[in-house]
Amino acid sequence: MATDANVCPYPAGDSTLARMALEAAELGFDSIVTIGGEGSQSCEIEVLRGIVISAPSQKEIIRQVRKPAARNADVIFVNAGDIPFNRAAVSIREVHVIRNIHAARKNAFDHVAARSAAERGTAVDISLLPIIQYRGIRRQRALQQYADLLTLKRRYDFPLTISSGARSILEQRSVREAQSLCALFGMTGTEVREAFSSVGRIIEPERPVRVVG
Amino acid sequence: MRMKQRYILVQIHPYGVAPDQREVYFAVAEAVTSLWGDVAAGLAQPAVVFCGGGYAVVRCRRGTEKDIATALTTITTVADERVALRTVATSGTIRALRRRMRPIQPLPEAGEVTIEGHQFMVHRYPRQKVDLVEKGIMHQKSLFFTETDLEER
Repeated sequence: MATDANVCPYPAGDSTLARMALEAAELGFDSIVTIGGEGSQSCEIEVLRGIVISAPSQKEIIRQVRKPAARNADVIFVNAGDIPFNRAAVSIREVHVIRNIHAARKNAFDHVAARSAAERGTAVDISLLPIIQYRGIRRQRALQQYADLLTLKRRYDFPLTISSGARSILEQRSVREAQSLCALFGMTGTEVREAFSSVGRIIEPERPVRVVG
Repeated sequence: MRMKQRYILVQIHPYGVAPDQREVYFAVAEAVTSLWGDVAAGLAQPAVVFCGGGYAVVRCRRGTEKDIATALTTITTVADERVALRTVATSGTIRALRRRMRPIQPLPEAGEVTIEGHQFMVHRYPRQKVDLVEKGIMHQKSLFFTETDLEER
């Protein structure tokens, strides 16, 4: 199951949720995670609701994840920050994904955060947006950050997600195109497929079978 | 010596946009140079050999087609117009690619709609897709809806 881990439909972008879902289906996705957005619920593919938390401290994240908006969301994202913040964020049980790693400082997601993420099953998001939209030094930095992240992932085995961050159908990319873009920083086809399917595993983690009644 | 070539067929999104072949070439050259550098771009020799009907055919040296296709995914504008180039197929002949071209024509029911105080021309496409293009001369905003979204307004 391939999931685009982050799209921002109308009114934040210029394409409605239903249209983005339609395009995602044509591009080879089975589900998308939408941040905000309104309109028709009858989409071709599964649409998961996500929420992004931008907080300066761990306390603030905990306060925000207890709000009804976060409780109703399927996937909770937290924007990455500095080293102590990221270490704290991955250890919060309610947080599913750390995003915007490319915007954080170099090595802001370090081996300690990677180990915690692997233990708690918290994912780190790779956004294709900086690879597609940026040019020059900004894109080089993003590619370097992703390459570093991939090294940590191979060592500690925490989940990754891949998102287009699209605000328009023109910014959505197909599964095959995402594979070729991820190959730029050394990600293999198998790793890309695993990352595309990790949203399902994050929201419904494998647990031992419980006998009820 | 004549080198072997590969041709990449790309579909131009949104439907209805008809950029000039030269402008598409400039966008391709910028994307390839920006991603792979001057040396790789020089060796790949990308060129746009056809542009029309919502499709473009990009020629490159054999062996570089994957790199060029990757660079094509990073194109976001052609002549200041927002576009996406979606790779459809790669082949050794243009003839084979022409068979893969299926131009998407707008459905006849056009119209007008006002959203948030702006007037938009409605262009309907198959699979319930509706593209709204703001009325005006320059820098028109585009919105991408479905038939259901439009009915709900």
